[in-house]
This record gives sequence, structure tokens and C-alpha cells, in this order.
Amino acid sequence: MIELMHFTKRYGDFVAVDDLNLSIGTGEVFGFIGPNGAGKSTTIRFLATLLRPTSGEGKVAGRSVTQDPMGVRKVIGYMPDDFGVYDGMKVWEFLDFFAVAYEIPRSYRKKIIGQVLELLDLTHKRDDYVNGLSKGMKQRLCLAKTLVHDPPVLILDEPASGLDPRARLEMKALLNELRGMGKTILVSSHILSELADFCTSIGVIERGKLLAAGSIADITRQLRQHRVLKVRVVDETADLAAAIMRDESNVKTIEQFDHTITAEYHGDDEALATLLGRLISSGVGVHSFGEEELSLEEVFMMITKGIVN
Amino acid sequence: MILRDNPVLIRELLVNLRSPRAFALQFVYVSLLGAMVYFAWPANEGQVSSGAAQRLFDLFFLGQFFLVALVAPTFAAGSITGEKERKTYEMLLASPLMPTSILIGKLLSSLTYLVILIISSLPLIILCFLLGGILLSEIARAYLILILAAGTFGLLSLACSSYFGRTSSALVVSYLVILPLAITCVYLTRTNDTTLRDFVSISVLPPWCLMIWSVVVIALNGRLLRPPDVGSEGKEVVDEEQEMKYAIGVVIDRDLFPDKLFAPAKRTDLMPDGTNPVLDKELRSEIFAQGTLMLRVVIQVSMLLSIPLMAFLLFLRPENAGYYVSYVLTFNLLVGPVFSAGSITQERERQTLNLLLTTLLRPGKIVFAKLIAALRVSTVLTFLLTEQLLLAYVLIPELRDRAWTLVIYLLIIATCCLATSTIGLLCSALSRKTSVAMILTYLSLLLLFVGPVGLRWYLQGFAGGISEARLAAFTVSSPYSAAFSIPMKSSQFSTTDANSQASMTQQIIPGINLPVWAVYLIMYPPLCAMLFGLTYVFFRYRWWRAGGT
Repeated sequence: MIELMHFTKRYGDFVAVDDLNLSIGTGEVFGFIGPNGAGKSTTIRFLATLLRPTSGEGKVAGRSVTQDPMGVRKVIGYMPDDFGVYDGMKVWEFLDFFAVAYEIPRSYRKKIIGQVLELLDLTHKRDDYVNGLSKGMKQRLCLAKTLVHDPPVLILDEPASGLDPRARLEMKALLNELRGMGKTILVSSHILSELADFCTSIGVIERGKLLAAGSIADITRQLRQHRVLKVRVVDETADLAAAIMRDESNVKTIEQFDHTITAEYHGDDEALATLLGRLISSGVGVHSFGEEELSLEEVFMMITKGIVN
Repeated sequence: MILRDNPVLIRELLVNLRSPRAFALQFVYVSLLGAMVYFAWPANEGQVSSGAAQRLFDLFFLGQFFLVALVAPTFAAGSITGEKERKTYEMLLASPLMPTSILIGKLLSSLTYLVILIISSLPLIILCFLLGGILLSEIARAYLILILAAGTFGLLSLACSSYFGRTSSALVVSYLVILPLAITCVYLTRTNDTTLRDFVSISVLPPWCLMIWSVVVIALNGRLLRPPDVGSEGKEVVDEEQEMKYAIGVVIDRDLFPDKLFAPAKRTDLMPDGTNPVLDKELRSEIFAQGTLMLRVVIQVSMLLSIPLMAFLLFLRPENAGYYVSYVLTFNLLVGPVFSAGSITQERERQTLNLLLTTLLRPGKIVFAKLIAALRVSTVLTFLLTEQLLLAYVLIPELRDRAWTLVIYLLIIATCCLATSTIGLLCSALSRKTSVAMILTYLSLLLLFVGPVGLRWYLQGFAGGISEARLAAFTVSSPYSAAFSIPMKSSQFSTTDANSQASMTQQIIPGINLPVWAVYLIMYPPLCAMLFGLTYVFFRYRWWRAGGT
């Protein structure tokens, strides 16, 4: 649905994005992550047809970003990271303005505006002035504006930045709902916990270069060739458990801290089950036994530290 | 703290003065003045004429006074509203800086560049003194007036900047407040009665200016200390009905004529199909988004000022109708760009441009809507002042006999409205900031509208042998010249008055003599169309940039 082919953007000597290649399938929710100034917004602004590339090309729903910008604008809903609202307009007027700008006939507009207001839970704010809305409400309104022409692709640049925890959770729920509606979503954020739950894939960008792209599981697998095993036992059997695990050929390194043992494990699931059986049959009081997952934060930190070539 | 180590002053001076543009502009300014003195300089000592020196001095003084009246507000009116627009106002107020420090910092930084320009002309004025015919005290008096005017206009603009939320509103009200003061000041200080002139310049102006400064500083200090315009976001919304309830003087009713011409009523239902949403938004929402105060002040002050002008220039001396038209043109010159010069830059500053550009609206449609909206508001407000002209033509037989001149006057005013809006929009497409667009617009208009009049005056005094018709050719871009080229005195109708006839006509096509006003009216519509085309190109390739390669 979204493709970037050798996209490069330079500002004089400064390379904002360097030879970026990316492919996002239909219905995917792609999380674009990277530190501030990494090139996320530049890439997003290019896809939103606001920026000319130095070289390269992009396609959205098969339409060329550089050759057919109007075609691209028809199929995308773009929410910038920083945006303002028009003063002196009511919420319904604001949505009507964009609906007319997207050439939606009047006969459909009333219904569509009602639907997006309901979806974004803004119906009670319909007659409020947009410049009087709170930050969270303005974010919702901007999302409502991006949905008014029912685009199959949503390009959202930091949609939850500056929101309070409640508004952030609500925004996350909304994005989940949009994902359920089958929209292809490209969402950027530097608050990684926001993306981890609902992104089907991620791309990590730093200093204009795409360092990794794919599902979180795939990237984790690329990053760690081994599994990390975490075992918590009742206190007096901790040494015994550590000794049994050291004997295990699949265990490479082991760390013991009080009654928690962390081990680097190279075996398969069957060997893991056998190990658990040995621990229990040896009288170890196993409190918890499981594989430690990498959080998106850890993935991000490992990638952007240059661990991945 | 107020002057030394004033962070507001230091920051703004650094930003304003370190740019190469500031030096380039000063260089151009001094070169221009230098060239004027150079070409006016007599070839040998024997040719020194005191009249010539006086003319040069007058040109310098009036030109610089006009510059002060025009530029001081463009710098000062945006200094506090700029903080509000950039959302740095509350941070500034919450800092340990005293209101006086903020005020002095803002004022001095706004005026420093202007004062530098004025002072840099001083050596050239001294050269005029060497020509003879001008007293040193006269030069000192002129510079005193210029500095007092810069301070007063700057402070009044700063006050407007504090009272309004947007630079455009602050600017237009500043101009309207300054206009009567500037007219009075020029009239009193340029009068032929030397006693009155000296009395006004030395005994009246300084104490009055000091009084205005004190009152404004006290009022502004109070506002900065206990600002009534900061707080919750909800306060950004102005309730129009509530505002009208407490309005003093003119009340704007969007359902009534002529108010509905510039501010149609707000929609209660969806826009019909085929509506240009940008035009609809500009006229129905944006114009009153910050309340009606700005427009009410504009209408009331301009109307109030027009009454004595109507009495003196239309009813007592009908042959001076051109001067009244000049007032209307000046009003448009000041107010017109406010609605157009910020129309594209403000979208950028308020971060709504990206939202607009990613819709299916074509750049031509956006730019056209912006032009029509600005033109409509500016034209209606300007034509409100032509009621007096119509009244005079109906009531005064002398004018009634020349009804055709009324049509020409109205056409000149309409063309002027078109020009100010188009040039403002072009500058808005060229600039990144509203303040820059405003300054660029006013400088362009000054060059087109006022510059030619000054040039003619200059050439009349120093370039002998240029025919009246040739001189008139230099002024065809000025609506003022066009207005004054309409024959209003009985003698001007006489075909035997060859000199007068020559001054009023211009040969644009060999063999066809046309009056200056006709050339002006023929020239501007295609020029405006060309400027609009340029605006489209700049907007298309500067902002709406994605398409094509």
C-alpha cells in the first residue's frame, strides 16, 4: 500500500533521509520510530505530498507521490505533528470545511460529519469553537478531519504527543479501532509503549537511515540469536536451581540475583520443558519460569546504539 | 536592567540588526538619498539656489516622516502580538523581568533600525545646509520631530500590540490611530507661518508627545503586570453576541447592509456544493475570529476623520475633491494590505497550511479565494468613505456638473483597492512571516504610489528642461497623481491652457494623448493580473510543492 524507493532528502550538505526503502502492506499498522531529528517527519511529509525528494520515489495505493500528488491526496488522511486550527470556526464548520475541500457532496456530508464525530467521541463538542478546545480534543478533531473523506491510508505524525495519560490511552484505543476498520496506518512516535501494542510492524530510523524494519518479533529475533530465560524460585532452593541450570548444555551464561536466575538459552521448546521438569523433580520450588521478551524500548535502544549493522 | 543587560532588547537587536538584509537595506537607503543630493548638487557655486536646497530638504523631511509613520507601526505593532502568536508571551511575563524592561526593550528594538536609518541621512541633510537657504535650527527641528514621531508612533503601536491578539489587527488599528496624528503633525510643522511652525515644533509637540508617552507607558505597564489576556485556552474564543452587547459606538450586524458585504453571516448549515471553502472560511469565520473590535475601530476612526475632511475639502472648497480622494486612497494604502499580506503567511504561522495543502484544493483556487476575500473586505471598508464624496456630488452644483469625474474617482479608488490587495498577496506568497510580508508590501506600495510623486517633485526642482508631460509620465503608477490629474478647477477645462493640459495628459501610444488617470486605469488591471499570476506561481512552487518535478 505504501512504498518508498531510494527516497533521499538533502538540505544543502545535510542529509535528512538517506536512500530509504520501505514497503508497507495493506491493512498493516506500521510504527515509524526514531529519535528526534531522525528523519521521520521528513519521510512522512514526503508521503503526504508536501515535500519534493532530492531523489527517489514513493507510491501510495499505487499512485506516484511525485507524479500524481492529487491522486495520493485522495487516498491519504494526513495528521501533522504540529497543527493549528482555524479561529472562529465551530467543530462542525471545521469538518464541513475539510469535507468540501475533499469534494464530498453536500448530501453525504451531514452523515459523514455525524459519523466521524461519533467515532471520535466529539458529538457533544459539535457546536463548540475549535480554538476553545483542549489539546486532546484538538488532536481528536484533527484525526476526525483526516477521516472525513474515508481514506484507506492514514499517515499520522506523532498523534499522541503532548497528551495527558488518559487522552493518550483514548487515542490508542481510537487507532486500534481504525486498525479494526482495515485502514493501513503509518504512525510515527517516539513514545514506544504507544506503538508496541497495536503495530503489526515497525521501522527504526536514525540519522536518516532505516536501521531495521519488520515485525517486532522478527526484529527481536534478528537482534538476539538466543532466548533469555528468567526463573524465580523460593529462596532456599535458588542455589540448587542455579546448579541444575549450569549443568544444562543449552544454557550458556547464567546470572543469579537473590532468588531470580537469568540465563542465556539456546535450546528449543522441548528442551525447555525438560529443564522445567528437572527443576521440579529435583525439589526446586519454582515460582515462575519463562522467556523474557524484549520490550520495544529495548529493541529501539539496541538498534539505535548501533548493535545491528 | 532597563537599558543595560535588558535581555529583550539585546535579543531583538541581535536578531534584527545582524542580518545582512538590514545592512543591505541601509546601504540602498543611503545610496538613494545620496544620489538625490548628488544629482541636485549645482555644477558650479554660482548656481546655488536656496529654493532648490529647501525643496531637497522638504523632500527629505516629508519622505522620512512618511517612512516613520509607515514603518514604525510595522515593527512595533507586531512586537507583543508576535509573542502571543508564538505562544511565548506567558513565558516572558512569568520571567523576573520588570514590565518596564519588557516595554523599553520592545520599543527600542522596534525603533532602533528606523532611528539608524533616519540618523544615517543626517550627513546628507548637512550637505543641503551647505547649499544655503536652510537654517541649522530648521534641520534640528526636523530631526526632533522625526524622533518624537518615531517614539510616539512606536509606543501607540506597542499599545495596540498589547490590546490585540493578532499582528494584523494591531497594525491596522495603529495606522488608523497614527493617521490623524501624522496629518496634523505635517500640517502644523510645514505651515508657511514660521512663528506658528516654530511654536508648534518646540513648545507644543514635545510636551504633548511626552504626555502621550507617559499615559501609554503607565497603561501598558499595568497590562503587562496584570495581563487580562492570558489564561485558559477557552478565553481564546470571542463571543460575538456578548461583545456586541457591550460595544461602544458602531455595532456590526452581519445581517444588515453594508456590514454583510464584508462579513456575511455565519453559516447555520453545511456549505452548498461548489462553494470555495477557503473563501467561505475567510469571510465568515476568520474576519471576526478575534472579535469585532478591530473593524469597529477602523470604521469609527476613519469615518470620524472623514467628517472634517469632507467639510473642508468637499463642501468649502469643492475643487479640492482630489485631496479627499487622496485621504480615501491613503486609508486603503494602510488598511488594504492588512487583509492580504498575512493571508498566506498566517496559515503557515498558525500551522494550518499543511492541513490545507493536503486537501484536494488546487493552488489556484486557494490563492484566488484569498485575493477575493481580502479585496472584498478592503474594498467595502474603503468605499464606506466614498459616501461623503457621493453626498458632495449630489449637494454641490459645482460638482454635480462634473458627475463624470465622480465615476473616475471611484474607478481610481477601486483600482487602488485591487492593487493593494494583489501586491499584499504576492508579498504574502513570497515571505515566511507576516511581519516581513507587511513590510515588503508597504515598501512596494510606497515605491509605486508615493515614490513617483516625490520623484516628480524632485525632478521639477533639479532637472531642468523636462517637459510637464514627461514629468507626468513618471507618476502614472500613483493613484494620487491619477486623482490630481482630474481637472477640478474651472481653468483646467479650458483648452487654451496648454501647460495645464500637458501636465494632465500622457502619450502612451504614439499619437494618442491620454490623461494620467486614464493611463493609470488602463495600466493597473493587467498589472494586477500579472502580479496575481506571479502569486500563483510562487504559491504553487514555494508551498504547494509536491506535484511534478
